[in-house]
Amino acid sequence: MSLSHVLYAVQKSHFAHSLAESNHMLVAVLQIIHVFGFIFLLAPLILIVLRVFGLILRDQPVQDVLRQPRALSLTGLSVTLASGLLMFLTAPLHYYNNWAFDTKMLLLLASLLVYGALFLGVAPRQSAHPTLARVTVGVAVVLWLGVCMAARAIGFVA
Amino acid sequence: MDRFFLTHPTLYAFASWLEATRVGSAIAEGRYAFPIIEGIHLIGLAIAVGLLMLVDLRLMGVFLTQVPPRQLHRQLLPYVLAGFGVVVLAGVVLLSSEATTVFASPPWPFKMAFIILGAANALYFEFVSSRRPDSLPAIGKLPSGVRGAGAASFGLWVLVIICGRLIPYITSWS
Repeated sequence: MSLSHVLYAVQKSHFAHSLAESNHMLVAVLQIIHVFGFIFLLAPLILIVLRVFGLILRDQPVQDVLRQPRALSLTGLSVTLASGLLMFLTAPLHYYNNWAFDTKMLLLLASLLVYGALFLGVAPRQSAHPTLARVTVGVAVVLWLGVCMAARAIGFVA
Repeated sequence: MDRFFLTHPTLYAFASWLEATRVGSAIAEGRYAFPIIEGIHLIGLAIAVGLLMLVDLRLMGVFLTQVPPRQLHRQLLPYVLAGFGVVVLAGVVLLSSEATTVFASPPWPFKMAFIILGAANALYFEFVSSRRPDSLPAIGKLPSGVRGAGAASFGLWVLVIICGRLIPYITSWS
């Protein structure tokens, strides 16, 4: 079974069909939720970058500054992924053979891996490996910016 | 021409002029210029509004309560302002490429009104509220006026984003 067959089956599923047939404002609402999820994913990550690079809150221990932004960023990530999945389900075939979508998915995968490594492995040992922490959090932000740019291009690729 | 412009001919003339500018027409005709600038607009928004919302949450007493609010506010301000610079620049460039569509969209005037209110709230906080003695104690509960200013700012920027995202979906008053 090819990818196009899988996407066709998904598009014809009861759930996806219900989503696609619902009010067109549902997609607008999902987009709004997606944007808020991205903002709350990225802004705390930027705050962590600024602290790890010693640009802000230098008198506050890194681990203290990390705790709440990490929780907020993970909440933003969950909201972004859930709303993104629902938007995808409204028209999965629309994304087939779309290089911007493929690029977004590759960058998203890389972002999730680096994000996981940052919060599970690197951040808790930040004091022992400060350079690694700076590189990891910097790469994480750059990858998320790449995901954002690729996402904006999806609707403009034939 | 959208019916909205029948009662707003000056606005239509201005929108048409914007679209005919070199920047406006270049973006409208370029294949990837619009999504690239839109992506930059969104990233600037995530940095500027996102960091501002973190400060608002601190003022509301629900985020980074161990950090003195004045310290967080002062140290994040340059990044918030830089982000807003990017957002405004990218926003104006995007607007110039589809001004007749945007001006006719009902959510757009609301977005602008909420931006003005958000900016006024921020300026009042910056130059009046935060300069009052004991307005921003380093620890403990903040005065109700400061918490209210944080909540108002948070709510206004939420409304700005909602209206901004609705522009492509609600294109006409009729």
